[in-house]
Amino acid sequence: MAEHSGPDSGKHKANHANANSAALLHGRAGAGTGAGGLSGGLSQPAGWQSLLSFTILFLAWLAGFSSRLFAVIRFESIIHEFDPWFNYRSTHHLASHGFYEFLNWFDERAWYPLGRIVGGTVYPGLMVTAGLIHWILNMLNITVHIRDVCVFLAPVFSGLTAISTFLLTRELWNQGAGLLAACFIAIVPGYISRSVAGSFDNEGIAIFALQFTYYLWVKSVKTGSVFWTICCCLSYFYMVSAWGGYVFIINLIPLHVFVLLLMQRYSRRVYIAYSTFYIVGLILSMQIPFVGFQPIRTSEHMAAAGVFALLQAYAFLQYLRDRLTKQEFQTLFFLGVSLAAGIVFLSVIYLTYTGEWYAKIHIPIIASVSEHQPTTWVSFFFDLHILVCTFPAGLWFCIKNINDERVFVALYAISAVYFAGVMVRLMLTLTPVVCMLSAIAFSNVFEHYLGDDMKRENPPVEDSSDEDDKRNPGNLIVTMLMLMLLMMFAVHCTWVTSNAYSSPSVVLASYNHDGTRNILDDFREAYYWLRQNTDEHARVMSWWDYGYQIAGMANRTTLVDNNTWNNSHIALVGKAMSSNETAAYEIMRSLDVDYVLIIFGGVIGYSGDDINKFLWMVRIAEGEHPKDIRESDYFTPQGEFRVDKAGSPTLLNCLMYKMSYYRFGEMQLDFRTPPGFDRTRNAEIGNKDIKFKHLEEAFTSEHWLVRIYKVKKLDNRETLDHKPRVTNIVPKQKTAVLDL
Amino acid sequence: PLFAIELLTFYFSAKRTVDLSTHLAKVSAELNLANPPGGAGPAGAFLLALEPGLEPRLAYLGVQVKGEEEEENTLEVRETKVKGKSGKFFTVKLPSPLVPGAKIRVSVEMVFTHVLQPYPTHITQAEKQFVVFEGNHYFYSPYPTKTQTTRVKLASRNIESYTKLGNPSRSEDMLEYGPFKDIPPYSQDTLKVHYENNSPFLTITSMTRVIEVSHWGNIAVEETVDLKHTGAVLKGPFSRYDYQRQPDSGISSVKSFKTILPAAAQDVYYRDEIGNISTSHLLILDDSVEMEIRPRFPLFGGWKTHYIIGYNLPSYEYLYNLGDQYALKMRFVDHVFDEQVTDSLTVKIILPEGAKNIHVDSPYEINRAADELHYTYLDTFGRPVIVAHKNNMVEQHIQDVVVHYTFNKILMLQEPLLVVGAFYILFFTVIIYVRLDFSITKDPAAEARMKVACITEQVLTLVNKRLGLYRHFDEAVNKYKQSRDISTLNSGKKTLETEHKVLTSEIASLQSKLKTEGSDLCDKVSEIQKLDSQVKELVLKSSVEAERLVAGKLKKDTYIENEKLHSNKRQELVTKIDNILDAL
Repeated sequence: MAEHSGPDSGKHKANHANANSAALLHGRAGAGTGAGGLSGGLSQPAGWQSLLSFTILFLAWLAGFSSRLFAVIRFESIIHEFDPWFNYRSTHHLASHGFYEFLNWFDERAWYPLGRIVGGTVYPGLMVTAGLIHWILNMLNITVHIRDVCVFLAPVFSGLTAISTFLLTRELWNQGAGLLAACFIAIVPGYISRSVAGSFDNEGIAIFALQFTYYLWVKSVKTGSVFWTICCCLSYFYMVSAWGGYVFIINLIPLHVFVLLLMQRYSRRVYIAYSTFYIVGLILSMQIPFVGFQPIRTSEHMAAAGVFALLQAYAFLQYLRDRLTKQEFQTLFFLGVSLAAGIVFLSVIYLTYTGEWYAKIHIPIIASVSEHQPTTWVSFFFDLHILVCTFPAGLWFCIKNINDERVFVALYAISAVYFAGVMVRLMLTLTPVVCMLSAIAFSNVFEHYLGDDMKRENPPVEDSSDEDDKRNPGNLIVTMLMLMLLMMFAVHCTWVTSNAYSSPSVVLASYNHDGTRNILDDFREAYYWLRQNTDEHARVMSWWDYGYQIAGMANRTTLVDNNTWNNSHIALVGKAMSSNETAAYEIMRSLDVDYVLIIFGGVIGYSGDDINKFLWMVRIAEGEHPKDIRESDYFTPQGEFRVDKAGSPTLLNCLMYKMSYYRFGEMQLDFRTPPGFDRTRNAEIGNKDIKFKHLEEAFTSEHWLVRIYKVKKLDNRETLDHKPRVTNIVPKQKTAVLDL
Repeated sequence: PLFAIELLTFYFSAKRTVDLSTHLAKVSAELNLANPPGGAGPAGAFLLALEPGLEPRLAYLGVQVKGEEEEENTLEVRETKVKGKSGKFFTVKLPSPLVPGAKIRVSVEMVFTHVLQPYPTHITQAEKQFVVFEGNHYFYSPYPTKTQTTRVKLASRNIESYTKLGNPSRSEDMLEYGPFKDIPPYSQDTLKVHYENNSPFLTITSMTRVIEVSHWGNIAVEETVDLKHTGAVLKGPFSRYDYQRQPDSGISSVKSFKTILPAAAQDVYYRDEIGNISTSHLLILDDSVEMEIRPRFPLFGGWKTHYIIGYNLPSYEYLYNLGDQYALKMRFVDHVFDEQVTDSLTVKIILPEGAKNIHVDSPYEINRAADELHYTYLDTFGRPVIVAHKNNMVEQHIQDVVVHYTFNKILMLQEPLLVVGAFYILFFTVIIYVRLDFSITKDPAAEARMKVACITEQVLTLVNKRLGLYRHFDEAVNKYKQSRDISTLNSGKKTLETEHKVLTSEIASLQSKLKTEGSDLCDKVSEIQKLDSQVKELVLKSSVEAERLVAGKLKKDTYIENEKLHSNKRQELVTKIDNILDAL
């Protein structure tokens, strides 16, 4: 074979060259003869096609990578937002202490005094991936800092996502659609929002794992080969290790199998694929400590088990059909199938509406996170632009020419649309399927209109001059329109990426009138102060949003953080923030708090500060301590939340209010406003005379964005309620002090 | 080892200035040395002594002699011991032995660190910083002194208290003691000043300076600095409001300072563990790059910070070579801020991979640690790293250190070759992988299919070529029609015939090959052959017609009609062939 293939491929090349020159000749001569053969010759060569595909995929990767670099170029190579800081911190731990230390890591700096078993409460895929890349690079003596690996991981993986989307779409439709899909997913804002450089979060690698698992699943269903299914399981294992969203896979694949059964599309391939996938995938997924026995215990995994049982029953019935008479079989079949289908269907419905995942929405902590809000229509268009309009067309094409794998993509699309409607965050799972289906729609349109042109040229045209006249102008217009749409899509993507999704949120920037930039680096200023100038074991109390950042940047012990696993602990912190100083001091004493950190945006007009989040603290505290904290106390009788004089006295004297506005009443920001004018809430504060008894200001950042208070230790002894006895004896130490 | 010359035994007058205006104590003394007439002989050196309390705080000692033309010569100083006396002693070698009766004037410069103690040790943000200095009223000398004066320069006029030996005169921020006459050797009497000093009490508690030399034209310098405010510790709250609104609030705190980098410094960065420190400014001057460094937060007493500053330098300014001999001349420590104090410094000089015979010339004593190896991009056996430590350093230590080493220039090729080799292996593996068949089982059907596909491909080209021939011939006919030159037609015909023959026979052979492979495509090819022969007939017919037209044997109308008929027929046939080809 080796001897053959050498010269053969050589001839291939020669042939292409011939075909090319012939094409040139043909073009010049204008004679139609042999055109059909030539066009056949041009579409044949696999070499050109794969070169083109490679180039397009490479460019898609490059475009995706570079459009994610806005934040790095504008600011620096830095970890963004909140959760990435924890991921970075654990990756750092993994890189410096090794894998086993990481798995057994008990983090005593979080959830004081409880601590957190990190190894057992994270999806380790992200950290292991980054750690592995770092390890390999360092093995090769490429001395890259782990931070840079973390920062650039998501952009690099976006390229892999593009490739796996290409593969999946190619399996579903054709190569052209695959390339379009790869280009779409590389730049679509819905995915970029979670994968810009610095956004070191699970989703960055999970979308790749998701798409790749689906590709391998489609491949296994198509071929019925155990090899592909095992590959699919390994990819599923990676997905399980990377993101809690693996539940989506373990429900979608059974759903696919179930629908195939309903559509009478059962085949041995499906049987082999699903049986292997379920068993191997189940065992692999249970290897992740955080997942453990969940796959056989919790409700969201039950659909998979049900479909597995159903499939076995169905296969058994198929087997029986060969053995039994028709009459016997029919009775059995109807009984068996309807029973099993009924059970599975009911359980799926039951899980969808009462599953734990959705029950969580009613807990205030979950509801308080902005990304758990329902999606607005605007954000669909904002994140997907033209694709959201074209993807139903792709879906329609798929359903019109249905086959096993297109059933899958249809189910994928429908379920993802539902989830994206429930939560903004899950827009992320919708994005890939929208890209794929839109690519199919676009590819079909182009094929139709561009393809026709080529065929029209084929009939012999004696004179070359009237070739142009015969081209249908309608085709040209449609093609131009489509290209325009795509161009606008690209422009929109870049604009959204640059304006909406490329802010590190740790560093803020403001622009002066002359266009120069001011960097507000208050967060890092305060965190670094904590890191450098407090005791190494100092405990910092803050609202849970800042827990990961304090741990990551200030390297200090926190009480609560973004891993909101303990509601009552968070409620206790919320209670401390919303109580008056004396009550709060008791709570803080019992929690061994040394410092309290709050975010205050009143000076610069930063709206994401703690006063604006304050009602959530009150609500969460009220949930656990309804006797002490009542939300209604913090409203005016008219039911308003006001910080000015009209505000409720409970609010005006609670710890959060006092810490936010301590000495702010003296501050006059400009001449048009009175002193103590809060720029965020546009109100003059109601309590300007704030004094502390148990706290003292320890640090305030330059723009007052971060304020840190020190919790004073108890006085040495009880203060006397009567005056001490006065004597005439002068203490002897006094002279000793002077004698220096 | 002492100097092999006689020591001076007698002595001198001393004029001493103690500068306490910063956080350092800078003592400079002008000494008049004399070898008493009738002495033992010419003296080549003299002794300097340090009080027992101050000796661990001495950072720098330099002795210079003023020559006749006011040029200054630095004298060699060596530490020595004197029996029965505690404290530190130094012997200073004179430029030329002092004969009995001769005199010489030398100036001694000493810098002490951490001798100014803040008192009170804790102050609030609104308070000013006061410090206490404890020293000696007399110039501490191993020799009897004839006259002495001591002048103390303070940071401000605000003096809390001072010792009043000999009724010193006080003016503004200056105290003048003396003159004291005929002081016996080793005289001590405590001088104590308590005064306001708000100058920045900044100390570099530790610093690591890494210099990485690349022979590709770059020297990368990176300094990791731990900084601490060692003045009076801040007591109570830090109020940002007061700090922003009142100019004298936190007067002893440090908001920013200037670091002077070499003029050629490029790509300067200033960062810490959590990223870039955005509060800094860079000013490029003619002879230096001035960097205004602002720590993330103002430094109050007891507060510390940590940062990394790095930059690149072109190597031609610092690296000299003669053949394979190289010399790197760089500052051992560089400027961080004015009046800097470095408690502990580690310098690491990373030389290129393959540097040998390393030898370090330092201007003062340094502690060399064992050399290390450093691995970075494209290294195989590691770069040698020179590690040196020194404690308690001040501005006077900013001096050049010279590192000599040999380096074989051939080694420069190693790294590019490594890259080339890696890519070569990569491409080679891909080539091997693509060209060879690694499947475990052979699939004869697939192989046959591939063979057939290959043959069909060839058939396709040949058929296309053959169709091209007709087009060429058509052109020839057209030309003939215009030029009426029968030779063109004939030659065209000839080439058509011969080439057609060749192509047809080739296709036939391929056809037979297909047959042996047992492919049903063979029939299709034979169909093509059949159709083609018809096409050829038509072509020849039309050429004959054209001949006749030219000869006038045929009317133009009929010719055109016939031609149309022919071309339509031909088109039909060609389409048929095309369809078959497409099916292939």
